[in-house]
Amino acid sequence: MAKEGAAALAPAAIEMSRAGGSTLVVRLRGAWRLADDLPPPADVERELDRESAAMVRLETSAVADWDSGLVVFVFGLLTFCRARGIAVEHPDLPGTLERMLALVQTSALPAAAPPPLRGGLLERLGRRALARRKKVLAASLFVGETTLGLSRMLVGRARFRGQDLGLLLEGAGPSALPIVALVNFLVGIILAFVGITQLRRFGADYYVADIVGIAVVRDMAALITAIVLAGRSGAAYAAQLATMKVTQEVDALRTLGISPVEFLVVPRVVALTLMTPFLVLFADLMGVLGGAAVGTTMMNQALASYLRQTANSVTTGDIIGGLVKSATYGALVALTGTARGLQAERSSEQVGVAATQAVVTGIVAIIIACGLFQYVFFLFGF
Amino acid sequence: MAEAIVGVRDLTMAFGDRVVMEHLDIRIEPGEIYVVMGGSGCGKSTLLRHMLGLQEPASGEVFYGDESFTRAGASDRERMLRHVGVLYQGSALWTSMTLAENVALPLQQFTQLRPGRIREVVELKLALVGLHGFEEYYPWELSGGMQKRAGLARAIALDPEILFIDEPSASLDPPTGRRLDRLILEIRDALHTTVVVVTHDVACILGIGTRALFLDGESRRSIAEGPPAELRVSGPDAVRAFFAGGILP
Repeated sequence: MAKEGAAALAPAAIEMSRAGGSTLVVRLRGAWRLADDLPPPADVERELDRESAAMVRLETSAVADWDSGLVVFVFGLLTFCRARGIAVEHPDLPGTLERMLALVQTSALPAAAPPPLRGGLLERLGRRALARRKKVLAASLFVGETTLGLSRMLVGRARFRGQDLGLLLEGAGPSALPIVALVNFLVGIILAFVGITQLRRFGADYYVADIVGIAVVRDMAALITAIVLAGRSGAAYAAQLATMKVTQEVDALRTLGISPVEFLVVPRVVALTLMTPFLVLFADLMGVLGGAAVGTTMMNQALASYLRQTANSVTTGDIIGGLVKSATYGALVALTGTARGLQAERSSEQVGVAATQAVVTGIVAIIIACGLFQYVFFLFGF
Repeated sequence: MAEAIVGVRDLTMAFGDRVVMEHLDIRIEPGEIYVVMGGSGCGKSTLLRHMLGLQEPASGEVFYGDESFTRAGASDRERMLRHVGVLYQGSALWTSMTLAENVALPLQQFTQLRPGRIREVVELKLALVGLHGFEEYYPWELSGGMQKRAGLARAIALDPEILFIDEPSASLDPPTGRRLDRLILEIRDALHTTVVVVTHDVACILGIGTRALFLDGESRRSIAEGPPAELRVSGPDAVRAFFAGGILP
């Protein structure tokens, strides 16, 4: 076998000659190592195509060193000759190489199923369409199962651990406070800057507190918080559940007779649905404070005056509307995250895919829901 | 005595302050199937991790041939490990790749072979372990035994001089485990590879081991070394008890 000390050996070469008219003698010389540039079996095949032979005699006594490179060559030659009905004799093949060839012939598993079809473009397209249909059905089933799980929870019959719900509530709410506060404060600042810049052209920059207040409380706080949660909690849920699938923890739940949706999805949906409105209330405050920071510094408005103006412009309906939206967004983030996690296949790559898809799907779902809310609120004059 | 191809000198393994095994001396000779055995948690797999550089010794050293692996720099370690193949307990196949891609990766990374030649070598290696025709399967589409075979094909992709195998029969049924044992023997004979097996499976130890080392978790020392059949009959009490507990009357 190849060793480092054998590096200076002559390169691999083939010599061919005819013996007795019907026999092709193939002599191999030099070092036949994978790392070297080896002659392919096609050289011998071309010679046999040019003039056929009843037998090939393979002589390897001049081979100085070899590894899998020689085995590949000999195996290819044997396969070719067998297909052509040409006998092969190899009187001086190294014993270990003989054993490797024997191993290749004999160690095949008895029930080797045909490999799954990957197919051409159309076939792959068809398979994708069928897979998509399957996914839609699975998504419907998932929503149905979750609804059932939630209703079982309401009557106290859902199977999940209370302490898990506690930890999830903490993870979804208090732990997210710093990032939610920061992002919403900055959004408040941005809105105030845009508002002042535009309103100043009409001499109406005094109304920036109204605009920031209403925008933040009605929509922006809920929207921005939900997007933050999609990237934070949604991705985490997807990764957790996908990993549990890879490590067969989900299978273990199923075999115990515990619904994974009830045990894993319901507490997460409940946690985010409950905690998002609280986060959004806090986000409302931070957004308004962000606006106030700009209003008080750029317009020299007193903080108390700015806040009073905001309070006069924002109605209880605006606040409740924002909270209703936020609860919906929270539920959507949890649903998309857990669904993507449970959809993952049993491979480590799928954990990353699930997390990415959870974020994308979550944000798209939030934006669609936001659009629908705007339309419905508009219809009802809200 | 032949020159050792791999071994450890006065090796002490620890996790922080907790010493797992101390003062180990092992010399493994070319062509051996050397078995590291012992009860669960005695440090067998930890020893393997030390020999592969996945964990650093508390003291002592690992060596390959006449070179110290422990004291070697990153590039020297990489060169030494180029002659090593590893079959992990859970196969550790990359699940996003087909079997062919799994076996091809070391060839792509460490040789200058053309894609066509790599394909031929991959088919040969998979055929060697009985997986001809499964090239385009993903690992998760296969049974545990087949995954082990595929892991073995990847481990021998570069014709290693030393093959490390961690718990070959773990999570396999006994007949599948024995088939894998036979395959390891055949691969050793065909490739002239030195094999280091870490296991607590008595049937595997007696079936393929040419020499075995017993690690005793209680005393944190190796307490016996020799041919498994001899250790089973005339080894220390703990070793004989280990063998007796592993075979039903």
